[in-house]
Amino acid sequence: MSGLGTTSGPVLACGEVHTCLLPTSDAVDERAAEQLLRLRTDEPVRLSRHPSRYAVSPGLLTGVDCWMPSVTGTRSRAVGTVTARAAIVEGRVLQSSAYFSAPACGPDRRQSWGHYLVRPGCLIPVGRLPVRSVAEGFLAGPRQNELDIGPIAESLTARISRHRILDLSPPLTTADTSLRWTATPAAGGKETSVLFTKADDGLRTVELRLPHATTPAAAAGLCEDLALHDWLLTTVAYKLDGLQAGYEDSRLLKVLCSLVDHLLHLWMPLSRVDRTLHTAWEELDENSGYSRQWNALAQRIRDQLVLRAVRSRSELLTSD
Amino acid sequence: MLVLAASDKGGTGRSVTSANLAYQRSLDGDDVCFLDFDFGSPTAAAVFDLPDGVHRAEGCGLHSYLQGRTGEPLRIDVWSRTEHPALRDRPAGSGRLVLLPGDRTGGEFLTTEENRHRLVDLVLRLQREFSFLFVDLSAGRSYAVDLLLTATSPHAGLGRLENRWLVFHRWTRQHVMAAAELAYGSQGLVHAGTAMGHQPDVLSGSIRFVRAAVPDLESPLWSQVSPAQYVWMRQCDQALEELAAGRGIGKARVLASIPLEPVLQWQERLITDEDVYDRGIARNETWQAMKDLAQRLTIDTFWGQW
Repeated sequence: MSGLGTTSGPVLACGEVHTCLLPTSDAVDERAAEQLLRLRTDEPVRLSRHPSRYAVSPGLLTGVDCWMPSVTGTRSRAVGTVTARAAIVEGRVLQSSAYFSAPACGPDRRQSWGHYLVRPGCLIPVGRLPVRSVAEGFLAGPRQNELDIGPIAESLTARISRHRILDLSPPLTTADTSLRWTATPAAGGKETSVLFTKADDGLRTVELRLPHATTPAAAAGLCEDLALHDWLLTTVAYKLDGLQAGYEDSRLLKVLCSLVDHLLHLWMPLSRVDRTLHTAWEELDENSGYSRQWNALAQRIRDQLVLRAVRSRSELLTSD
Repeated sequence: MLVLAASDKGGTGRSVTSANLAYQRSLDGDDVCFLDFDFGSPTAAAVFDLPDGVHRAEGCGLHSYLQGRTGEPLRIDVWSRTEHPALRDRPAGSGRLVLLPGDRTGGEFLTTEENRHRLVDLVLRLQREFSFLFVDLSAGRSYAVDLLLTATSPHAGLGRLENRWLVFHRWTRQHVMAAAELAYGSQGLVHAGTAMGHQPDVLSGSIRFVRAAVPDLESPLWSQVSPAQYVWMRQCDQALEELAAGRGIGKARVLASIPLEPVLQWQERLITDEDVYDRGIARNETWQAMKDLAQRLTIDTFWGQW
């Protein structure tokens, strides 16, 4: 697939990533992850073991022929396929991602499906594509009768969650997040830029300007990484919020231990992001202090556990 | 855990009691979601004091979701939206409390494969987020009951989820007989469930009864009755106890008895500690019974087949 901004390539890529805890009491092993992600028989699940265990399903295509989202109300139609894939990180976190890319213009008439199927993951406009309006409309959320790729990602999450090998008793309750993103090529000479916004109900939006020739798959990879780390930070911060040191020990310990057992080791930004896109995360991290906050939270959890151990030991000694 | 609140008839205090249970569990720090499946007459929004809840749910509530008219059902965060004065300040250490209201105009509909898939996907999604899902089902062997009964059968999507049924009934002859019929009758939960693939002993081990609005003859409420009335009421109580035991819903299968509560006779609402201790309008016994019942949902010795 050609990259963003190249002569024959797309001018816009959009996607949505859903992130949730895999609904099982313990992390699944590599074999189980493979079994869960075997969404197609003709293509294997890709596994990687370093720097963390990661499994990703083959891509699934969904054919669409519909109105594109728009903020201005300009109606533009596009036809083609949306790519979707699911990934399991360290056997513990499930991510489903759906994305597409689109060129600036296409044939003035709708072609036969064969024309669109040779470009997987690409939505080809009928006529010109109002790029800005579509990108803004996509981030604002589709209106009725406009393309909504959220359900495509969600249906993968739902399909995997129904699998019989999952015991459906997660060790802690966590809220899912959806991250909606758009990527356009950065203007000449400008560097990568990223605008990250958090809304209610676990929705995040990311507006990216990426180097020329970045492939849509690489942009999706960056957003999956952002979504994973945002989800981790949100989940751990929420669990610690209002957790009073005066709580009875068993309850506090249960929360702290579940975080240590299941989430703390997952923080590993940029482990699977294309090298040219590292600046996007670095910029975001610099501005929002994600890593600093994560380190502080992780340290706090460990300190609490140590304090408790010291306290229970001294209680034991005094009771003797 | 999925807590399914069913009742033989209307007016058994099913909605108001299960809303109170949801409230109690969230006070204890559990993340709780309440799903209003009382198709046709959703009342949960009123119990949680969310005046615009019913109105907002039009076209995007649970019925619309199950029928595929909306991609995601409306969620209302009770702590932040309620108009109940005592609830607005969410207590420290409490968990989330979210209502998924039903649409008023939804009515009953046939249970189709499609509805069931949508229900399964929704519950699987919610159970990642919440440790308790309370489902308030329409009275009788309704479509809502059938939908949940099929979805929770061992080979359907929710079979692996821990689920517990509460059958609410009032403490009268008619209600006791109807509750027994709803659970064990020829058209009842266990029979219907078995036909849908449930193991009869497992299913019946997950059904418990809640007696609602039970007059406690020793309470001050009844201190003014004449000796003759007292004796008569005692006999009735005794006879009901025998009737219940004979129908298989005797004390061993009762999870709790909620005493007759004047506040609930006047208004379907959440009973808060403020109502009991500061304002003195609700009785401590009711508050305690709700608390105990909420705790017993997760105490395994109260459940299972005997």
